[in-house]
This record gives sequence, structure tokens and C-alpha cells, in this order.
Amino acid sequence: MQSWIPILVYLAIASSVGFLMLGASRVLRVRAKDVPPTRELTYESGEEPVGNAWIRFHPRYYVVALVFILFDVETAFLVPWALNVRALGRFAIVEMIVFVVILLLGWVYALRKGALKWQ
Amino acid sequence: MIIPHFTLNDFLPVMPVGVLMAAAIVLMLSEVFLTSTTRTYQAIIAALASIVAGGIAVNNAFEPARLVLQGYAVLDPFSSWTTAMVCLGTFLAVLLSAGFLKHRNAERGEFYALMLFAAAGMSLLSLSAEFITLFINLEVLSVATYALTAFLRRGPRPSEAGFKYFILGAFAAALLLYGAALIYGATGATKLVEVSAALPAAFAKSPALVYAGLGLVLAGFAFKVAAVPFHMWTPDVYEGAPTPVTALMSAGVKAAAFVAMVRTFLFLVKGIDPVIPFTVFSLLALLTMVGGNLLALPQRNVKRMLAYSSIAHAGYMLLGVAALFAPKLVEAGAKVGVLTATPLTGTAQDVSVAVYKGLLFYILGYTVTSLGAFGTISALERREDETRGNTWDLERFAGLAQRKPGWAAAMALFMLSLGGVPPTVGFLGKLFLFSAAVDAGLLGLAIVGVLSSVIGVYFYLRVVVYMFMRPAPIDAPAPFRHWTTELALVTSAVLVVGLGILPGTITEWFSRVGMVFGH
Repeated sequence: MQSWIPILVYLAIASSVGFLMLGASRVLRVRAKDVPPTRELTYESGEEPVGNAWIRFHPRYYVVALVFILFDVETAFLVPWALNVRALGRFAIVEMIVFVVILLLGWVYALRKGALKWQ
Repeated sequence: MIIPHFTLNDFLPVMPVGVLMAAAIVLMLSEVFLTSTTRTYQAIIAALASIVAGGIAVNNAFEPARLVLQGYAVLDPFSSWTTAMVCLGTFLAVLLSAGFLKHRNAERGEFYALMLFAAAGMSLLSLSAEFITLFINLEVLSVATYALTAFLRRGPRPSEAGFKYFILGAFAAALLLYGAALIYGATGATKLVEVSAALPAAFAKSPALVYAGLGLVLAGFAFKVAAVPFHMWTPDVYEGAPTPVTALMSAGVKAAAFVAMVRTFLFLVKGIDPVIPFTVFSLLALLTMVGGNLLALPQRNVKRMLAYSSIAHAGYMLLGVAALFAPKLVEAGAKVGVLTATPLTGTAQDVSVAVYKGLLFYILGYTVTSLGAFGTISALERREDETRGNTWDLERFAGLAQRKPGWAAAMALFMLSLGGVPPTVGFLGKLFLFSAAVDAGLLGLAIVGVLSSVIGVYFYLRVVVYMFMRPAPIDAPAPFRHWTTELALVTSAVLVVGLGILPGTITEWFSRVGMVFGH
């Protein structure tokens, strides 16, 4: 039980930071006299949202997502490898180079195929 | 942390896969970096890679059986021979594809790359000795074949076939994985050797869990080998896929799945009443032999007929698998310890060696014959027929003997081999397999096998009758010619006759003791 106390403290600090920041901005913010209609919209990196989210997406996103997963999974393997590479020695380095090179070749293929072009 | 130590020895069994993968990557990159108009060189690269990989595999087949890569894989003659046969099948399928794709103006490096990826998956599947490894290799093989099935996107048929194969294949893979998870829950291990050691205790504690796991794993494999009643997808997928891909699926995918199934279940039956696996495999064999042949009977579409025939042939192979679990062999094994390093002795050992020989030789024979048969069909197909329904109708074969005697003779040879008529490899395969089954005490099943293959002779010979005894229609298509197609067909025909007459050395290689690790 003792070992859980730091986590509880951490949780308390983390949530109080959130409440503090929101509370502070509530006190300090500038109040507009009349609310413009754009304020009610979903915040989309400054773009004005068009329609709702339940639409068919362009298949282009699918290729981008695939290429993203390629490197996402690569990272998932690289992190545990990086933690242990000293103990594992030269063999692990060669192994990882082979792995990364194969994935890079896949990326080169996607790049040359124009999968990442957005026309 | 345990630091693994690998020697070069550990990588011996995956060397062929390395060659296949390297060639596949080269082919993919060639597609985006080279822009030459002729692409025959891609087929040549792929064919050479399969020859080299097959050569390495044959060399590996004379290594003593052992576990490698920390027990995740095995190096034994059984898997090495399977890899060699997969490479032979890939070699022929690549050559067939070259002409086939050129005729359709669809030659792409990715096609050959996918074929090589599929072959790599098949080789790895045959040597997996751990459930996660097994599952991933099954997926490597499956994803490549899903993509190949729908590679030619003309008309609704390829997409239907690809979609059906993908949905049902994913479902079967999930069944297998769920089964493996249940077995892991019961035994706490995923490596087959450890599972086998922990099974008797797990079985005593929670039999329902183990039975459920074994049943699900079996269902997953039965789907891949297209055993009745898990065969529904086969005719549609085989018909819709490009014909060289169908050839590769019927030969390679099936062989790899069979070998993986045999390996897995040799480890998984420990602690279980030996009657159960024997009964289950016998029942599957019975249903598949009879069902496949009966379903092929009314087919006028030759490609569909061959798809059902591949189900029937899976049934004969299942007969061999059932023979491995015959009470006679299992009892002998119980005395000396099946699944330990101690080999069987006396007659039991002879029978077990004969069964493995029969299985491997049957797979080899079916590989060369079905590649030849599908290859001839692929050469007779016309690109313009793809949207019509009669591409593979029997009428298309009418009078082929007068117009193209060589092609007709080759097709007749492949049909006779599928039917099991001497002096072809199909006859010898059946002879070895059925006599081994009789030795193992499966007299009744062997009789059913012979009778059902008599049914098969009817629809195989019907093709021959059409080719030789019917007049040709006026607008009959001539086969398209390409040197790679002809090379593939000549190679298959020579192997069908050659192995049928002089099987000597090969059978000697296939009947060595210590064929399968731990058995």
C-alpha cells in the first residue's frame, strides 16, 4: 500500500493543475459582449469545420495511415531494443539495422509509388 | 535478463526465406526505379530466387532434426522438404505468371514479390514450433495470397474471390489464435515442446479448456487445407483468382498448412485418449475424400472441377495424417515415448517412416501435377473471355488434340496423374500413401480412398474425352504462347512422368528415420 501513495499524490497534483488552469482562465479571461457563432464550432486547427464527422473519408487517408503504422510499429520495437542494446551486444545492432533497412525500403517504395503525394 | 545466443546454425532453416525475401524486395524496388518496357526479367529474378532457395532447402534436408532459434522453430527434413517443394511450386507458378500476365498486359514486379512473400510465409509456416510464430507466418502467407487473389481487378469475379477469401481466412486465423490462447491458458506455454510437456497435467485439471483449444486450432488448419466441412470458400476463390495464383494456392498453401498441422498436432495429442485425434482425422479424411470427389462430379467448368479435385486430394493427404495417429503407431509410441528424443522402433518405426514418405511424395506429386493442370488452363484462357462466363467450360477443350496435339497430350497427362493412373507420379503417390495407411491399420479408410478416386477418374477422363474425341468449335481459341509458360509446362510434364517411373532417389530421401523433430 505504501508504494501507491506517490501515485495518489501524483494524481492529486495532476488533477489540481488542470482545475487550477481552467479556474484561472475563468477568472482572468476577457468576456465578449455578444458571442460570435464561430465560437460554438468544433476547434479544428483553425480550419472551419465542414459537415459532420460521419462521412466517407477519402481512401488517400488509408495509404497515409498505413505508412504511419509502418513507423509506429517500428518505434514499438525500437524502444525496448534501445533499452537493452548494451547488454545484447553487436548481434542486436546488426539485427536492428536489418529490420530498419527493410522498413526503410518499404518507405522508399511507397515514396516512389507516389503514395505520399497529395494531389 | 536472459541474453539469447544465436549461432549461424540457428539461421540455417530460414536461409531460403532470406533469399526469397531479398528477391521480393528487389522486385518491388525494380518496379519503382526501373522503367523498362519489358518485364520478363522480373519473372526470371523470381524464378532464380526460388531455385536458389529450394537448393538451400534441399541441402538443409540432410541436417539432423533439432530445435533452433530458442525453440521457436525446428530444422528437420520434414520442413526442409516442404520448403523445397514450395520453392518448386513457386518456380513453376512464376513462370506460368510471366506469360499469363504478359497476355493481359498486367506484368508488375509486385505480383512476383507477393508470390515470393507467400512462398516465404509457406516455408516459415512449415518450420514454426511456437504458436505466435505459427500465427504470424500464417498471416504472412495469407495476406500475400489475399492480395494475389484480387490482383487482376477486371470484372466482379476477382474482387468477390478476394473478399470472400479475406473474410473467411481472417475468421479461420482468428479461430486458430483463439484456440492457441485457450491452450496457453491451460498450459502456460506457447512453444510446442513446452505445451506438449505441460498438456497431461492441464488435461487432468481442465479437460474442457484443452478440448476447446484443440478443436479451434484444428478448425483453423482445416480451413487452410480446405477439408470438408471447411471447404465452402475453395471453389469460388480458386475460380476467381488468376489461374497461376490458384495453382500456387492449391499446391503450396495446402502443403505448408498440412505440414504445420501435422507438426502442431504431433505435439498437442499428448495426455489425450489416442482414439480421439485418430477418430477426428479419420472422419475429416473420409468426408473430404468422398465430398471432394462427389462435388467435382457435376462440374462442367474445368477450373472449378480442379478446385473440387484439390479438396479431394486434401482428403487423401488427410488419410496419411490419420495414419500418423493410428492406434497401432500411438501404442508403440507410448512404450518408447512418442514426442521425446527416443525414436520409434521395429515395425512401428517402419510404418511411421512409410507414412511420412507417402505424405511427402503425395504432396510433391500433387504440386507438379496441379501446377501443370492449372498451367494448361491458364494458357487456354482468353483475356476477352474474362467477363463472359464460359472461359473454363469443357467445350473449350473440345478438339484440342487436333489443333494443338502437344498441349492436349500434356493436359491428358496431368489429368491421368490427378486420377492416379500409372505410370504417373499421381499413381505412385496414391500407392505409397494408401499402402502406408493399410500398414497402419486403416484398411477401411484406404478402401474408401481407392473407391472415391475411381469416381475421380470419371471427371478427369471427361476432359481427355473432350480433347481427343470431340470436334473443335469453329471459334475455338488457340493457346497463347510464351516461352516461360511452355518451360513450366514441359518441366511439370517431365516431372510427372519422371517421378512416376524413377522415384528411386527421392523416395530414399523421403524415407529417412528422424524425419520430423521429436517423432
